[in-house]
Amino acid sequence: MTSCIRDKNIDRVVVAACSPEFKEHVFQQALENAGLNGHLLSVANIREQCAWAHEGDVTEKALELIRMAVNRTRLLQPVEEKELSVNKGVLVVGGGFSALNSAIQLSQLGLPTTLLERESTLGGRIRELENMYGFKTGPMIEAAEGAKNIDILTSAEVLEVEGKIGNFMVRIRKGAEEISRSFGAIVFATGYETEVTDQDFQLKPGVNIISQERLAQMLQASSPKGRPQTVGFIFDFYDENSRFPTLATLSNALAIKQKWGSEVYVLCRDVKVDSEGADQLYREAREHGVVFSKFEEKPRISADDGRVKVEAKDVFLGEDMTLICDLVVAEERILPPAGTKDLSFLLSIRTDSQGFYQDENVHLYPVASERKGIFFIGGCRGDLDFQRALADVSSVVMNVYGLLSSGKVVVEAEKVKVDPQKCVACLTCIRVCPHSAIQLARTEGEKEVAEISDLACDACGVCAAICPAKAIKFEGYSDEQILAQIEALGAP
Amino acid sequence: MDVLVIGAGIAGIASALGLADAGLKVYLVEKEAAVGGYAASLCCKATDVCSGCSVCVVPEKIKQAVTHPQISLLTNSTVQRVGGEVGNFCVEITQKPQYIDTERCVACGLCAEVCPAEPKAVYLSSAEAIPFSYVLDERLCLRFKGESCKLCGESCSTKAIDFERKPRGQELNVGAIILATGFDIFDAREKGSLGYGRYPNVLTGLDLERMFNHEGYLKLSTNGKEPKNIAFIQCVGSRDEGHGYCSQVCCKYAMRLAHLIKYQSPDTQVTIFYIDLQTAGKGFAQFYQEYRESIRFIRGVPVEVSPASSDDLEVRFEDISQGRVCREIFDLVVLSVGISPRKDSWDLARILGINLADHGFFDTKEILNSNGTNVEGVFLAGTCQGPKDIPDSIAHGMAAASKAMQALTVRGR
Amino acid sequence: MRGEIVAFCCERSAYPAADLAGKGKLCYPDNLRVIRIPCAGRVDAIHILKAFEKGAAAVLVLGCEDGACHHITGNIRARERVRYCDMLLKEVGLDGGRVGMFNVAPNETHKFVRIVNEMNEKIKESGETK
Repeated sequence: MTSCIRDKNIDRVVVAACSPEFKEHVFQQALENAGLNGHLLSVANIREQCAWAHEGDVTEKALELIRMAVNRTRLLQPVEEKELSVNKGVLVVGGGFSALNSAIQLSQLGLPTTLLERESTLGGRIRELENMYGFKTGPMIEAAEGAKNIDILTSAEVLEVEGKIGNFMVRIRKGAEEISRSFGAIVFATGYETEVTDQDFQLKPGVNIISQERLAQMLQASSPKGRPQTVGFIFDFYDENSRFPTLATLSNALAIKQKWGSEVYVLCRDVKVDSEGADQLYREAREHGVVFSKFEEKPRISADDGRVKVEAKDVFLGEDMTLICDLVVAEERILPPAGTKDLSFLLSIRTDSQGFYQDENVHLYPVASERKGIFFIGGCRGDLDFQRALADVSSVVMNVYGLLSSGKVVVEAEKVKVDPQKCVACLTCIRVCPHSAIQLARTEGEKEVAEISDLACDACGVCAAICPAKAIKFEGYSDEQILAQIEALGAP
Repeated sequence: MDVLVIGAGIAGIASALGLADAGLKVYLVEKEAAVGGYAASLCCKATDVCSGCSVCVVPEKIKQAVTHPQISLLTNSTVQRVGGEVGNFCVEITQKPQYIDTERCVACGLCAEVCPAEPKAVYLSSAEAIPFSYVLDERLCLRFKGESCKLCGESCSTKAIDFERKPRGQELNVGAIILATGFDIFDAREKGSLGYGRYPNVLTGLDLERMFNHEGYLKLSTNGKEPKNIAFIQCVGSRDEGHGYCSQVCCKYAMRLAHLIKYQSPDTQVTIFYIDLQTAGKGFAQFYQEYRESIRFIRGVPVEVSPASSDDLEVRFEDISQGRVCREIFDLVVLSVGISPRKDSWDLARILGINLADHGFFDTKEILNSNGTNVEGVFLAGTCQGPKDIPDSIAHGMAAASKAMQALTVRGR
Repeated sequence: MRGEIVAFCCERSAYPAADLAGKGKLCYPDNLRVIRIPCAGRVDAIHILKAFEKGAAAVLVLGCEDGACHHITGNIRARERVRYCDMLLKEVGLDGGRVGMFNVAPNETHKFVRIVNEMNEKIKESGETK
């Protein structure tokens, strides 16, 4: 094929054979080897979608498919590859477990990293994990602080993000001053927030009804004043996303048994054991005498003479159960961090049905967003347990490294292109582009027109279909090229 | 430096793509003739909207991997021996004889047409198989039974068939090794009282997935009709003696399949028997609210399935809310089988010198690194480390790639 | 009498599904003409109307499942456009239902074949456009 193209000076090729899904890349390579642009190729799928899909003689259909492909091929234009340089710097937003670890791993791979934390110190909710998993957070923070290519900005927040992958311009407020910096990619690891679900209890969380966080502090303190005799845990009534609360409950219930020797009752609907080690922990807790009761309805809670009365209908016993506790650890809902809505609006990135970062689209999982170069990891993208967050961290490091490590990216130049003569800057394409790849730019004639970034564009063609002025040309799938295929319908 | 990935399921493919995109050369070794593993055989569970099962991600990743210039795919191959250390492993690989060259075969099917053996000795393993190539089964081929038949070889226009091929051994030099050997489906026959393998209308979740994939709808093997009253039994081969872990995938696939069945035929009754419903995870909570309205959920896992009149099945379970043993008739019982460690894990563990954990999955070294093993430079990806669904396997595969990259970079300095 | 069905197939979902149908030797009517597109969202009203102008009996736009489009909302935009074209066709006297938007996952071969068969039945019932 290669020598035929070369010898006969062929300028466009139609292959009538198997599906382009199967060998298109091989044929494209053959064209390239012959010095012809790989895009000047059409494949007429006369096997999978013709010969194999029908009974009887389908030669006529095959010929029609070939005519369609020939019609399209006549109009094809070459698409050249171009090398663009990218900024190797990475911005990691957040200062908790996921943020710290991804910054450390990125810096070890030689990518200069900036860690931006809203609070004045690093760490976030990381200390909650210390108890559960038995590691120390101190060395982790020191490692980040000691690394020479990690720049740490505390008491800082993101105000604005402009630009595209490879060159995001980020406006940051740090304390009273504003700074602007450029990054190749941005990783959001802003964690989650919790809220004690007290409103249904008709009680404010006080001395006897506490949060998991408070319990962890009490357990860390060496001697609690007056060890509680009876402790109750409540979870999984308000929030399906309770993997982490389940793990926290199980490990804290065990710790209470071991440290205080109290009687421990766990009241829940389902134990969410679909995370690593959770079922073992559940087993261990039961072996240590923690009593689990399962309910379909939310328990009723009232204060009774300084103690907490919990009433509910147990599904196993089938009868009402009343429990008087010295201490009740209330269920906490896991919520997106404050500012998620504003920031996602600012970034033109959709949140999920629970308000967390990252749209619920399977093609984005685990860490991508609809905008190339912007990633979400850990708790801020929804309910995750420790092991899943760890996988997120390393996964994003690989993604970012793959994008930025060489300092340049090869793209197909101007595959989707705006004709500045036709564009009336109506902004429709900018509004609909799912990848935020289009922006306004000024031409030499001082006219404002839409401009598509080759780096950020994912070649879907939504803009080309919607442009009222028909100013956007998607090479390979342009209006003319699609209509040319339709023109060949039926015509011998 | 090159990296070896063992196993071309979804986790191995994710690892290979991650490393290849970062410019490394990757050898992707697969024991079977086709890549994709279990994930490639599952069905889409969308109704009017996507239910988030992630099955549609798989064919795309496979296509990316097999066309990636940095990835060398070795199918029908197994690892025999590993020597050396991180940065310089020497791996011996044996490839079963490739009587039909997958590079040359264009799957025209002429060979199968002329094959005189019954059943045919050359065939396509499945329509989804990638590489899409015919295979020659030496157990069926007349030539391997001493006859001189060479009809398929003569019929092949691309000269892809060569009977003289021998097992091919090769040595690879790689800097790091990623294990992504996946899992075995729990063999439901081990739970004799549930009747799998004895009663034709007791199926596993995987059987159902494949039936949806191959037929597009459900039908009973006994009378060819659509089932009208279906029971799903959860935790078969999970959370019991010997499997002290949650398989993480079964609750969701059972609920999604149940919902798909209800969507296709709203008259069908679907009951799910469960211990604890696992409804956590991104995007699932909103579906669960919908599922609660159409599916009947019963807490408690049945212990016995026995034949009732004609082809129906009687399920005996304890109704916890009423505190008594109940019996109910279903025409189809689906066992939600879980993820088990591979039976041949031990062989690889021995070859590589890595440890197995309590349940038989490969062991990780430390809590903060679920990809690392006790051997430096050997990493774990996907379900060979513990149960995972498709997105988690992809994440874990990418994470393993990242750890391998980091190990090589640190050494390179 | 001609009566093609033109199917605009997203290269990420319906196009592989069509291939897989062929690989599995599942037969469907041979009046189907598939045009490969990068995303259902690329299809414009003019493409659909042109197909009718050239004598097609029906047009299908086949994209990813709702919520699983690579380009997030491409398939939803396509659905809007198909609805718009359906309305236009009604206005010019072509009875409704000759243009349809459906979601097909890359391995849903049976669904693909069913959609094509159903559309073929429909056009047989209501006769050709010319």
